[in-house]
Amino acid sequence: MKKQLAMVIDASKCIDCKGCQASCKVANELPREQWRNWIKGADPQWQAKNRKPMTYQPGNCMQCSQATCVTACPTGATYRDGDGVVMIDRGLCIGCGQCIGACPYGARFRNEKLKVADKCDFCSSRRAVNLPPACVSTCPTKARVFGDIKDPKDPAAKLLAKNKDEAVQVVNQKTNTDPNLYYLGDPGPKHWPHEAKMPGAFEFWKNLADPAVKIAVGLTGLGALAMLGKQFLMKNDAPPQDHDHEGGGHE
Amino acid sequence: MSKTQVQRHTRWGIFIHWFNAACWFFLLATGVALISNHDLNPLGAWYPATVRAIFGGGANLLAAHWGLGLVWLAVWLVYLVMHMSRFVAPFIKEIFTLDPNRDLEWMIKKNLQMTLGYKMMGRLVKPLGWDGHIPPQGYYNAGQKLVAQVLVLAGAVLVATGLMLVSSKYFLSAADAWVVQWSITIHFIAAGITTALLILHIYMAAISRDERPAFISMFSGTVPLEYAQHHHQLWYQELSEQKPSEVV
Repeated sequence: MKKQLAMVIDASKCIDCKGCQASCKVANELPREQWRNWIKGADPQWQAKNRKPMTYQPGNCMQCSQATCVTACPTGATYRDGDGVVMIDRGLCIGCGQCIGACPYGARFRNEKLKVADKCDFCSSRRAVNLPPACVSTCPTKARVFGDIKDPKDPAAKLLAKNKDEAVQVVNQKTNTDPNLYYLGDPGPKHWPHEAKMPGAFEFWKNLADPAVKIAVGLTGLGALAMLGKQFLMKNDAPPQDHDHEGGGHE
Repeated sequence: MSKTQVQRHTRWGIFIHWFNAACWFFLLATGVALISNHDLNPLGAWYPATVRAIFGGGANLLAAHWGLGLVWLAVWLVYLVMHMSRFVAPFIKEIFTLDPNRDLEWMIKKNLQMTLGYKMMGRLVKPLGWDGHIPPQGYYNAGQKLVAQVLVLAGAVLVATGLMLVSSKYFLSAADAWVVQWSITIHFIAAGITTALLILHIYMAAISRDERPAFISMFSGTVPLEYAQHHHQLWYQELSEQKPSEVV
């Protein structure tokens, strides 16, 4: 079975300390004011009589199994790798930003320094040396559990299996991308992801330009074949012979 | 049979034609391979996978496409500046000058003749009140002119959108993303139209028997006087009016 790296996050353990955000920024050398992860807090309801406790929802790119950002990328610079992580090939990315609008979570941004798409990749550089993602390492309450949920012996898989009925994915109902972040405890608001929308230029290409170009190339190809056929079948195709070329009524 | 040859292409013209052809071949091959998307792959996923394997990854492929595109543009710019008054301006004037009546008739008749032969063409155009003769043409025939018009415009669009795509990683900001997105789509359309026309161009030049002398002239620079007389009669008449010394 293929690997699927995922995070199982116990939201009830999150104390909103922002440690994950700070460590991510350092580990991934992100420009000022650009972040790969977040903690979403519910609006406190000071007036309510039975005040609910505050909830915190730590998150980042959800490495969706049905990733709409991959669908929107024309060059394949964004792709799902063998570990089930959505990766970005920076050398191949031309910074068109179609993936940014296609992500229901706003997890992607255009890196101001590199001018290409950027987002969480579960710290691929740290994973390369067998370290967990920076946010996982740094979390003081161990709210984030990271691992391969397809491997039954993995702690993340075990935690998810144990809480199968309670675990939730935060999705937009219209475009469920099957994310690989699972929440335990009360993660607060679950309806914030927007509908995944392909950019206009992409839709135009897919629905109009692509078939039109294929038809145009196909038709000229057929035309050339017709002429080739005629060239072979009619070896002596001579213009009509008559006394003068200027004259009209040729019979 | 007369062996007299007349000059049709200059050495520079021949150079830019084959330079353009070579660049076009590689730019098209690498450009199509830069598309790797389930919904957009023109030839299927195997093509980008194969070409990327040859280049050692998509990043190298993109760099090669950009590099060659910029070299292509730079050589063109030098050529355009050097030959602006002597060749480029007259060429543009020539290809954008159409004689509506004669050229429409030529387009209809020549297309029918090329696919169905003179006999069928003669029969089919009879209801239009036309005979089976194809109207005389100038230095370029109407088909060549239309193809050249579209290729010149598509080339300009490819350059403009291509420069936008290269700029994206160096000069543009997130707010300009829509320019880059539409540039990719339009770049694809312009390349698609050009490819469609190149299929016709390559058939006409390299495979069609009628145009064999034109194909040879893309190496030698000259065509037989007889060819000029039969295929480009109006040009032949212009040549006849010139001093004999200009006929090689």
